Amino acid sequence: MRSGALIGAAGALLVAGLFGVAVAQSGAGVDDETTAAAAVQAGPPPMPQPITMAQRPNATGGEALYVEHCIMCHGPNGMGTGLLGRRMDEPLLEARDNLPAQYVVQAARRGIGNMPAIPRGEVSDAQLQAIADYLSAGPHPHALPKPGEVPR
Amino acid sequence: MTQAATPTISPDRLSQAQRAFESALGADKVFFTRLDQQTYQDKFAIDDATHHPGGAIAPTSVEEIQAALKIANQYKVPLWPISRGKNLGYGGSAPHLAGSVVMDLSRMKKIEVDEANGTVIVEPGVSFYDLYDYIQANKLPYWISTPGNSWGSVMGNALDRGLGYTPYGEHTKRICGLEVVLPNSEVVRTGMGAFPGSDAWTLYPYGYGPAWDQMFCQSNFGVVTKMGLWLMPEPESLMGMDVEFDRPEDLKAMIDTIGPLRREGVLQQSPSIGNWLRAAAVMTTRQEWTEEPGALSDAVIDAIRKRFNIGWWGVSLRLYGREEINKAAYKVLEQAINAINPMLIKPTSWVKGQPLEYTGWTGTPMTFPMQNVNWYGGRGGHIGFSPVLPQDGTKALEQFRRAYARYQEYGMDYQGSFAFGERHLLNVNAMIFDKDSPEMMAKIDPFFRTLVADAKANGYGEYRTHLDYMDLVRETYDWNGGSLWNLNRTVKDALDPNGILAPGKSGIWPSATNGGQPA
Repeated sequence: MRSGALIGAAGALLVAGLFGVAVAQSGAGVDDETTAAAAVQAGPPPMPQPITMAQRPNATGGEALYVEHCIMCHGPNGMGTGLLGRRMDEPLLEARDNLPAQYVVQAARRGIGNMPAIPRGEVSDAQLQAIADYLSAGPHPHALPKPGEVPR
Repeated sequence: MTQAATPTISPDRLSQAQRAFESALGADKVFFTRLDQQTYQDKFAIDDATHHPGGAIAPTSVEEIQAALKIANQYKVPLWPISRGKNLGYGGSAPHLAGSVVMDLSRMKKIEVDEANGTVIVEPGVSFYDLYDYIQANKLPYWISTPGNSWGSVMGNALDRGLGYTPYGEHTKRICGLEVVLPNSEVVRTGMGAFPGSDAWTLYPYGYGPAWDQMFCQSNFGVVTKMGLWLMPEPESLMGMDVEFDRPEDLKAMIDTIGPLRREGVLQQSPSIGNWLRAAAVMTTRQEWTEEPGALSDAVIDAIRKRFNIGWWGVSLRLYGREEINKAAYKVLEQAINAINPMLIKPTSWVKGQPLEYTGWTGTPMTFPMQNVNWYGGRGGHIGFSPVLPQDGTKALEQFRRAYARYQEYGMDYQGSFAFGERHLLNVNAMIFDKDSPEMMAKIDPFFRTLVADAKANGYGEYRTHLDYMDLVRETYDWNGGSLWNLNRTVKDALDPNGILAPGKSGIWPSATNGGQPA
């Protein structure tokens, strides 16, 4: 419960703050013409650095696969985190304590909401199972931002 | 949009080919279940009944690609290569011709950096995050250039002429050297790659004789397996400004001011002017603003602008390089922008050692801009119509006004941008749509076709398009009876007589498929 409360606070910060002023008016809506970039310096926390293996060099197994294949959308400033934050208190999957492995497999392979289906050429069945097992064993406090720290 | 859902490739041939793929690649690289077919469909399809693949394969080496091409030729089954298949808005992982077998190269992820010269060779499966990670992990003094959806492939984006925001933002211009498997399985290296032992493959793009790198961009002439790219040296300083302008008609002065600075080289990146919807669509949903159907009213637009403190148009301008030079250039920039009455200027300044802004301006990969697909609250998607314009403010304003009137006529919320190249503008007209609204989905196609026709009537053609419109856009490039397409088909037929490689890509149909006409 303690880590749950901590994680919940971080999630609220993400949703309220990160995107608050992060989107400048350059670019459009089609993929790479979009930029939305330019975290305008005036506002609350600037956008965090994306998480890749360089930030989690000790990650192995399902965690490493999660970092490689999922965290670009499900990390602190990802699309998945932003959209889940509109619907639930805890948008970070690594903070969840209620993700059954089978649910993760189904959601990833079939797609869910605005999440596109992930094909087997990209993530094999064995890899997806390892990711699902990692998430179902959550929450993973080591993977989450500390209070007061810019999430990364 | 004219395709039938039924594949045109016979099920017998397809299952024979499947067995041959399994034998050549191993069953763990061959995906033909119904679920596999669904996972490779276009996630942003306007019509979910179109462009269904027959299956997919995931070769992991040049040798396996050669083997797959031989099987495709033997059974006359088309292959549709994808790098990572994240070209959302253009078809993603789906093939043009239904029943084609997707050749998914996302497992080929090798990265080789020439640190001294600032170049990299990537394989198709390398994403912008992968390349960013490599540079971070190895602490290399280089920046990459990233598109707004950086989930995709570095190579695939450059081959499709995608854009980023740094001075290296025209990705296709930074290609230097390719390795390509031709449809007959022969492997070719372009430029200096043809010279055994040369260490200049990624340095000099031409080699000797004709140079072919662009031949494999937006084409179906070969399967690219390696791409050389230039990396931007990490600058000492990054300076610039985010600027807002109050009125729609300010677009003219913005373009006529920024264009000369870009041509002169004071500005070396690719600025992109955009409107108010971007912030609203990424950060909020439409129902937070209004329940009114049709295009957003001026009152709602005013409310959006007020909440985010933004103009009708905004643009971010950035200077990269030595601090002293940037400081001098900034004065020139500031003077030029102040002369055209901006509503707001927010300066930015960074020097090496300070915390970096993690945005597209520093080549940071990102996915959050795609949150805009949730604008209508449900399952969304987007498509864009993007004609090429000259850097002429009057013409751009006229083009904007025509397009904006069409958005209002069709009841669509306007998301437009004008992205600078060195000499041109790409005018991206994005349409965010709600896949759960049959009424809205029914009007996207006529709306898109109207924009194509309007632009054609004014001499503007598109630079890149979705599967549904590859043939339509091809038809607009019709000078001298469409002689460019005669050339393309001649090349296609010479390299791929059985027409098995990505038939229909960019409107290039082999004679073996439907006599070279759209299938």
